[in-house]
Amino acid sequence: MPNKTELLMSEHHKIIDASHSSIIPDFKELYRYKDLFITLTWRDFRVRYAQTTIGMLWALLQPVVTLLILSLVFGKFVGVKTEVPYLLFAMTGMTIWTYFSYVMTNSGASIIASQGMIKKIYFPRLIIPLSKAAVGLIDLGISLLIMIFLMIFYGIVPSSNVWLAPVFLLFGMLAALAVGIWLSALTVRYRDFQHVVPFMVQIGLYITPIAYPADFAMQQLPKWAATLYYLNPIAGVVQGFRWSIFGGEAPGSLMYVSFAMIIVLFVSGLFYFRKVEDDMADYV
Amino acid sequence: MNKEIAIRVTHLSKKYSIGKKKVNSLRGALAANFQSKDSKTDEFWALKDVSFEIKKGDVIGIIGKNGAGKSTLLKILSQITKPTTGRIEINGRVASLLEVGTGFHPELTGRENIYLNGTILGMSRKEVSSKFDDIVDFSGVEKFIDTPVKHYSSGMYVRLAFAVAAHLEPEILIIDEVLAVGDAEFQEKCLGKMKQVSEEGRTVIFVSHDIGAIQRLTNKSILFVNGELISFDETSEIVSLYRKSNFSHSYSYLNENMKNGISKVNIITSTGSYIHEFGKELKIEIEANFIEKYKNVALAIQIINEEGKSIINPLITEEKLDWIENGVGKVICQFNYPRLFLGIYTLNIHLGEKSSNVHIDSIENICSFKVTMDNVYSDYGWFKNSATYLETHSWQTIKEIYESTY
Repeated sequence: MPNKTELLMSEHHKIIDASHSSIIPDFKELYRYKDLFITLTWRDFRVRYAQTTIGMLWALLQPVVTLLILSLVFGKFVGVKTEVPYLLFAMTGMTIWTYFSYVMTNSGASIIASQGMIKKIYFPRLIIPLSKAAVGLIDLGISLLIMIFLMIFYGIVPSSNVWLAPVFLLFGMLAALAVGIWLSALTVRYRDFQHVVPFMVQIGLYITPIAYPADFAMQQLPKWAATLYYLNPIAGVVQGFRWSIFGGEAPGSLMYVSFAMIIVLFVSGLFYFRKVEDDMADYV
Repeated sequence: MNKEIAIRVTHLSKKYSIGKKKVNSLRGALAANFQSKDSKTDEFWALKDVSFEIKKGDVIGIIGKNGAGKSTLLKILSQITKPTTGRIEINGRVASLLEVGTGFHPELTGRENIYLNGTILGMSRKEVSSKFDDIVDFSGVEKFIDTPVKHYSSGMYVRLAFAVAAHLEPEILIIDEVLAVGDAEFQEKCLGKMKQVSEEGRTVIFVSHDIGAIQRLTNKSILFVNGELISFDETSEIVSLYRKSNFSHSYSYLNENMKNGISKVNIITSTGSYIHEFGKELKIEIEANFIEKYKNVALAIQIINEEGKSIINPLITEEKLDWIENGVGKVICQFNYPRLFLGIYTLNIHLGEKSSNVHIDSIENICSFKVTMDNVYSDYGWFKNSATYLETHSWQTIKEIYESTY
């Protein structure tokens, strides 16, 4: 065994040059560290509910309670009218939102929380927010299960667009990752973002069509404000995901503003992260 | 690049800008050192134009005081932080060990932490699996391998952490001051393991305050003073140069900063210079300055030999010795007949408040003095390192002569 690894190692040649630092994210290197990514994801997962009495049940309890509150306030008190039962309507939005907010909250603080490691060992720092995004997939899976359970319960048949659902989920993950990468890098330089993130999560729940249909907002807002509304990357994803499952009128072209936003955020996030990556050990 | 070279460093410098945020990120020692020198500028060069080459298979020690740039160099070589100027070429896979147990999680079991720490240090999961039994064996914590490490004693924790690190098989191994932890027996085991690693032809770069360990493990060393590479030579040469560099501080220490702490230390040897003749009266004078008022201030003196080992018990002032409140106080410690053997010694001085256990100040490696034994007669001469102290003694003989029976 050692002989084989040694052979691979001896081809290793590295140059560190202060005047020529690369600005392009190194995906090859990221791939080489896949074992560390797996281990860190697994550690976060293992530790997440360690020492709690009900353990994994928390991952179920949190979305269920939020869902019940939303349906009480918006479904009953406000009386939001939806084409499908309100509980199911809110749950489709919640599925994406739970994942998005989990990744946003946990990635943001992730680099600072791992400063012990960052100061003592080298690895591509991107692995840290990536592993947080991977841990969140558990919650996403649980939310999807609740959603499917509700669909069976209400006897709702998915629309013919359902094959697009995984595409929208993928965009949701990309959006979460994009925001997570940005926030994790920004928090290292500007600690203020630690306070901004919970605020963003709170506001995000209202400016995203989770508890109400996007049309509600569109009817009230002037055209320019509607475009602004879709600059929220997750808004288009939620609307698209809902459409792929329940069918009905296809979302308007403004949805693509959200998608363009996701791509821009993701690519720029990778570059910004690369830019600050080298100095992270000096800042944390 | 020449295949014989493992690491080539050219014109390497590292600047830290000391803003409010970055002060946290610097090691405390570095920041403290900086503040006492020029607290007005906000730039600090931790490394200044450093160039050197390390051949494959060399075992190199890095020697220097706190803040000399040793740790910064290791951080740059391990890619943790990037240099401000300069270039480094590295031929071979690097593993760096700047701490034992990086990433250890208290809630996870010993087994889980072995995988975690192993992959953090750069092993693949497969590699960890294949070495798992050896690691557990080396650590000696088999019985608790499935217990969360938060229930471990600190000794067990360090053993397990070091066991993982000891099984790294990189071509270039970078180690910082990690042997300072653990009990003596385990340290010995680790040194043995490192010796074995270096004999396998791997390149090792080793930083330690333990000059003894550096002498045992390395053949060549680099001396750093204030971020500059002073010399790269045989370890024995570097160690003696390092000792001499302490002499520039001479046998007295002066700190003119107006703060709570030790302001002046003088060693009064038999010759009045840094040479002290064996057995003659030796005095240590210490002045401390206090802006604030402390109660029951206590002072401890350690005498350190060339290997960095404390050779007498810490001499702590008694509680009833009421020598200072606020202002300047002086205390004199007198040895009537010191038995320190031939060699070079330095002092470590610590100041604290005894009633509250508050640490006020510590100064290490000051006031070098050399003990000579030309004034003591020996049939065979005196040899350095043949003893650590000389005891007065007397001989007695008891004779019983057998009567001749034939």
